[in-house]
Amino acid sequence: MLYNVLVANSRKVIIEMQRYLPNTLSLVATFYIIFLAMFFGISIIGDPATAEANIQFVIISNAFWFLAIMAMTSMGWEVTTEATRGTLEQLAMSPVGLSAILLMRMVANIATQLVIIAAMLVLVMWTAGQWLNFDLAMVPILLPTLISMIGIGYVVAGLSIIFKQIQALLQIMQFVFLGMTFVPLSVLPWLELAPFVKGVDLTRQVMTQGLGLGGLGPLDWLSLLLNAAVYFTLGLVFFRWCERVARRQGLLGQY
Amino acid sequence: MSQLIAVRDIAKSYRQRQGSQTVKALGGVSFSVQRGEVLGLLGPNGAGKTTTIKAICGLVMPDSGTVTINGFDVQRQRLEALRSISAVLEGNRNLYWRLTARENLEYFAGNRGASRRQVRAQIDELLRQFRLADKGNELVNHLSRGMQQKLAIAVALLAGSEIILLDEPTLGLDVESGYEVRQLLRDIQTQGRTLIISSHDMPVVQDLCQRVVIISGGRVVADDQVSNLLKLFATRAYQVTLGAPLSSAQLSRLQARFTASVDHPAKTVVRVNLEHGEDIYELIEILRLERTPVEAIDRTTINFEQVFLQVINGAKPPEETHAL
Repeated sequence: MLYNVLVANSRKVIIEMQRYLPNTLSLVATFYIIFLAMFFGISIIGDPATAEANIQFVIISNAFWFLAIMAMTSMGWEVTTEATRGTLEQLAMSPVGLSAILLMRMVANIATQLVIIAAMLVLVMWTAGQWLNFDLAMVPILLPTLISMIGIGYVVAGLSIIFKQIQALLQIMQFVFLGMTFVPLSVLPWLELAPFVKGVDLTRQVMTQGLGLGGLGPLDWLSLLLNAAVYFTLGLVFFRWCERVARRQGLLGQY
Repeated sequence: MSQLIAVRDIAKSYRQRQGSQTVKALGGVSFSVQRGEVLGLLGPNGAGKTTTIKAICGLVMPDSGTVTINGFDVQRQRLEALRSISAVLEGNRNLYWRLTARENLEYFAGNRGASRRQVRAQIDELLRQFRLADKGNELVNHLSRGMQQKLAIAVALLAGSEIILLDEPTLGLDVESGYEVRQLLRDIQTQGRTLIISSHDMPVVQDLCQRVVIISGGRVVADDQVSNLLKLFATRAYQVTLGAPLSSAQLSRLQARFTASVDHPAKTVVRVNLEHGEDIYELIEILRLERTPVEAIDRTTINFEQVFLQVINGAKPPEETHAL
């Protein structure tokens, strides 16, 4: 059953990306322009001795920042848009449940964004002349990282269901995510407790330093998995609570 | 017919956006819907219809009282209850305008757990039945309002649920589209599905609904068969055609004593509701004051719109009715 919900939402995400092509292209262009700005900044005013490492760091951090924005704030936009269109109540009436539909929508969004980001990574690596290490070791690290991001996505979706107009918060969150994706754990170790930062840090090490799965200790895995479980559960519980509040106050269909 | 929906004493108040005051939307609404029935849910604006509808759909949580669908409590066993119900709440706004008609049908079916392959034949049949076969691949925002409305109903039908709830199914439609939607609803009715129709379009209600629940001020003010209500109110409505105009003294006595209206087209016509059979003598007495010639006294055919207005204005049907 959930598989069919996932297929339906994936189709919708892809179709709407095609139908709102200018919006999709502007997202891709934004990603590329931000990268170019950082790339030329490092090349022109940075220390030439560390330029190569810095550019690699920027490439991967920029990709994760983009992914974090897409994965987490997109649910807020989706909920707000559905409420404006008048379709949110229809989704809430599905016997599958609104939280399951939104989860499938998030998975579809993230999968689509991953494909776009992978293509963009190739483009920016070609632009920078810096080729990163793509290793299958990234997959088991990336999965819990994404689950943790989905948890935050649920929090954003929950807030959107109640308040609808949370654009200002979403804009602030973009900068919070910027900090979380760019600051390495070696600088701020306590950030390991924050959602998805550990995963981003490890993936960065795989891609820039060639760290393999063997290089990860049990504490790394524990941190990754616990982080994913805690933030996903917290996000889901928070979303369901918000959904209840919205139904109690009759806010689901309001915009 | 067995009971499919039971609404038991639901009450709901909303907190106002500014300040701490609350507004009472429902103050203890109860009614039931039988399997296969077509029920009209009526009421003036702000009466509490939408809150009742949303409570049935599980979109609004009542402060007290329960709604059960097929034995499942909508609040406690929400997902089980929702299997039996689908709704068209905001007509064409319930659709994705940048998807085609077929994509909309597939998407909503997918969200209820059905695969495209499972519903392909049903979608073809629905598009044919709703005369949208040649519009299947058109974006919804290119369809007319009537077509969008039909598509929204088709989406609700595709869910395969036993109950279909329609909020203002003919709102904003031109005469032709309205007639077509009404025809479709009649076809759906013959398939044995249970329909709850909330509408201000009284001809639609009179035409399609077997029973109506009228809500006013957050309470049920009438719950009866359409035919019963028409019969009850029709027995007391008369139209008296006069050969001369009424004097002001006659007019004021008439209006003080009866619910009466007077028209002056070519003839003076008095429309009057007589609460008791013997009131006719009093009416004649008032006319005799000025020896006003009476050309005809006819029982008027009351339509459902007039019944509705009388019910919400507090007129009570005589004696043993089911009205509350």
